[in-house]
Amino acid sequence: MKQNTFYLLVGVVGLIEVGLFVLSVRLHNPLIITAGFIMGVGLLYVSRLMITDYKEDERSRLITQEAGFRTLEVFWIIFFAVSLGTAVIGFSTPLGIPRPRAIPHDFPRDGVYLGYFGVIQMILLCCIAFLYIGFRIYYAHKYGEWDTDEE
Amino acid sequence: MKNKIKVYRAMKDLTQEALAQELKVTRQTILAIEKGKYDPSLELAFKIARFFGVPIEEIFTYE
Repeated sequence: MKQNTFYLLVGVVGLIEVGLFVLSVRLHNPLIITAGFIMGVGLLYVSRLMITDYKEDERSRLITQEAGFRTLEVFWIIFFAVSLGTAVIGFSTPLGIPRPRAIPHDFPRDGVYLGYFGVIQMILLCCIAFLYIGFRIYYAHKYGEWDTDEE
Repeated sequence: MKNKIKVYRAMKDLTQEALAQELKVTRQTILAIEKGKYDPSLELAFKIARFFGVPIEEIFTYE
């Protein structure tokens, strides 16, 4: 498989995921998007192994590792801080124990707005992608990815 | 770390692309090593020295 074909596949899978998300919301069934997303990413990981015109060596692996490590180093602080805030919302009840709730009839309704945390998570995960790209550009430049010479 | 890859490559009349193919790395990696932007792993350094048929310290100098 050519690298460009893989990028096309990424786009198609992305569109399908958006469709599954809308379907999940309409049918009030979070399992559809959860399972669909895992399958979609799995498909992309398998497809990535079939790319024939991309050569990876120790320098490109180093760039990926450095960028990934720095992204994680920055990101976990932000993500943990937001998660802590959400945990406070969840446990802000007498004795710190979550209030027992009756099974909602129109699932998913969330009395303490924890559902919105999912949206914040998604926004943060989009930010992680940009952060990673930024670090990747930095390290690629550092290790001479776009250098040219007389040849 | 300094290296003489460019010199040895010229002596063998090899392009960066040809050397990269021999060593199973990308051309950009050879270029980055030559320019001193990337220090190769010990394994790759030995491969380079073995390819040119010289001791490793002949090609790579630690400063």
